[in-house]
Amino acid sequence: MIFDHWRTRRQLSLLAMGALDESEAAAARRHVAACPRCAVELSALGDFVSLLQRDPVRTAAPGMDDALLARLTLARFDQARVEPKASWRWPFVAIPAAAAALAAIVLVPRVLDEKQTHAPREAAANEILVPEAALKRMERNVAREQAVSYLNDAQDVLVTVASAPQLCDRKRRTLDLAEEARRSRDLLSRRAMLVDLDSDEVRSVRPILEDVERVLREVAVLDPCARPQDLDAIHAQLREGRLLMKINLMTRELQG
Amino acid sequence: MLRLATGDRDALAPLMERHSRRVYRIALSYLRDPDEALDAVQETFVKAMQHAARWDGASAVAPWLMKIAVNHSIDVYRRGKRRGARIQPWEDGTPPEERFAGDQPSPESAAEGRQIGERIAQALQALPEAHRAVFTLRHYDGMSLEEIAATLGLSLGTVKSSLHRAVYRLRERLEELR
Repeated sequence: MIFDHWRTRRQLSLLAMGALDESEAAAARRHVAACPRCAVELSALGDFVSLLQRDPVRTAAPGMDDALLARLTLARFDQARVEPKASWRWPFVAIPAAAAALAAIVLVPRVLDEKQTHAPREAAANEILVPEAALKRMERNVAREQAVSYLNDAQDVLVTVASAPQLCDRKRRTLDLAEEARRSRDLLSRRAMLVDLDSDEVRSVRPILEDVERVLREVAVLDPCARPQDLDAIHAQLREGRLLMKINLMTRELQG
Repeated sequence: MLRLATGDRDALAPLMERHSRRVYRIALSYLRDPDEALDAVQETFVKAMQHAARWDGASAVAPWLMKIAVNHSIDVYRRGKRRGARIQPWEDGTPPEERFAGDQPSPESAAEGRQIGERIAQALQALPEAHRAVFTLRHYDGMSLEEIAATLGLSLGTVKSSLHRAVYRLRERLEELR
């Protein structure tokens, strides 16, 4: 009986939390019915558990719809793949790479000099001619790479704006978007210089580039300490235009 | 989950639809900050995608995800502690119950809930990590003791004694905080 009493006393908290299975709960209740001290303790624990149940976290939900959350998560997953964390292995990669680069700087000019002294002048003149088709191919690749790099950087900015900007130090009720606004302005000038919307290479992604540019323009003019409601229109454009997902798709298309 | 393991990115949205609320509540119970909790949800699913191939196809997905969520939340929580951050009431003027976007209580019960939440958050900090994890999975996720044991890799006996101690320690702490 005494052993049963102490075993049940240890189970009262679990009973109050609703964590015991049916048979254990029934046995504990039988004991409590015959034990006034246990009944008092169970009642006190019940009051305490009721208090715990009023914690609003128990009914909380993310303030963002699942589809947008999934898109942001995919963008973050891609970013993590592109920028793997630095690890203890870096010297094993970096040192041989540096050695190879140094060797190339020292040895390649010598080899070229040697070749040039022995080769006929005519042949040298022919060698520097690059076929026009190859040049065009290179231009196409460069244009695509620039568009991809622009879209990746824009996505980075937009993901931060869409997910969780830091609070402003100066005004705690506002969001710190100074860095995102600055990066947006940089990106807009970079787009104007490097990505030609009329070129054949990026024509297929032009609507996305224009949408991205429109949103970046809004981010670029945000107050460095913006109010949460200032972002409502930007969030709506990202959500309704499914922009982050489209950026993912388009960068993949451009990368072939 | 099997689709994710084979690289099917479209499988993420339905998986998140099913589990993101649970993961969010676990993270929020540790971090008590809606933005950090949202961040933790994303990190949990990023980690799930990165390690999807390691998932044992026979076991349930939820405990596996919850384990990632608990470990990640503990990491973030520890980093916050190292930086000297303290749990504070939300200060942007928006009451937490609105930011949590869950059920909408009356202003009075919301204010009361907020106070209770802050006190519970403080009391939870006093628990050893294993006890806290057991309590969190039971109280905020409603897992059975067997599921908690499987999720955290503990014996059923350890889970029971951890929950028992957590409840009494919390009760003590909350009485001190009154």
